[in-house]
Amino acid sequence: MSDAQIEGYARALFEIARADGTLDEVEDELFRFARSYESSDALRNAITDEHVPLAKRQAIVEDLLDGKATTTTVQLVSMVVGSGRGRDLPAIVDSLVQRASSAKQLDVAEVRTAVALSDDQQARLKAALENATGKQLNLKTVVDPSVVGGVVATVGDTVIDDSVRTRIDQLKSRL
Amino acid sequence: MNRLHLIASLVQVEFDTDDQGVTSANPLLPPLKEIWIGGAASLIVFYALWKLAMPAIRTAMSDRTARIQGDLDGAAAATTDAEQSASEIRTALGDIDGERQRLFAEAEQQAAAILADGRTRLDVEIEELHTRAEADIASAATRGGDELRAEIGRHAAVSIDTVVADTLDDAAQQELIESFIQRVGATGATS
Repeated sequence: MSDAQIEGYARALFEIARADGTLDEVEDELFRFARSYESSDALRNAITDEHVPLAKRQAIVEDLLDGKATTTTVQLVSMVVGSGRGRDLPAIVDSLVQRASSAKQLDVAEVRTAVALSDDQQARLKAALENATGKQLNLKTVVDPSVVGGVVATVGDTVIDDSVRTRIDQLKSRL
Repeated sequence: MNRLHLIASLVQVEFDTDDQGVTSANPLLPPLKEIWIGGAASLIVFYALWKLAMPAIRTAMSDRTARIQGDLDGAAAATTDAEQSASEIRTALGDIDGERQRLFAEAEQQAAAILADGRTRLDVEIEELHTRAEADIASAATRGGDELRAEIGRHAAVSIDTVVADTLDDAAQQELIESFIQRVGATGATS
């Protein structure tokens, strides 16, 4: 799928969510779903398996998100999967998030941790990152067990990696 | 003495007379006429023999002499041949002895050369084996060390994940997150 197509889908999702008045919520839910898609082989296979009919793939996605996300989010994901673009869902969502952040004059900060951050921690972490980067940030948190411990923060091209996983990898390479 | 008496008696004896009245001077001797006739006849016979038989006898004797001479010459030639053969045999025997000694000497020389070559080759092979064994030992020691280090690394890597996962309880997780927030907020970005 070309970048133009990805941008087209992202713009469509963005406009629908904004028109629906649930942009922040939808953006956040889509972001988490995209990260789940990236980390889960089972979810990825279920959405991208060419042998499974599109209607069945849509049904799988709707069952997965039912009760865990807004109706708009479910419909948007189902629409992307139904159009056969499930494989490009993370790129579309990332473009959507970037577009939403730009609309709010914000930069996206992706934070990965092994355990979920509390609201207070998210607020303090956002303030700390804004202080460090000098930018206004749209904080997106991802619970990623592969981090093991600590935090990996990505703001644009800047990566602040203080994860236990990285330290373990460094120690292993030395061994 | 007796011989003289006998001869005297022969001379003094009276001659006998034969049937025709011819008297012999000596009883032991024939009449003189008979002696003359007999003598003449004998001479004739001897002359005839001399003229007729003598050439054949001489030829036969000459042939016999030639044959005997031939036999003698043949014997002499055979003797010469035999002596020559004996000489050749002796020479050959001498040559055989010389050849045998030469062969023995050559064989001993070759054996000594083979032995020396074998010893040299053996020394080289021993040296090569020694060098190879030392290299193998060194390689094995290095490989063993590398394998040991790799094994320790593998075990340590597995242990690290397990130990860290067991060590990182919720409090430790929160402490890591708080530490990150404070450090980033205080000192700025570290990439």
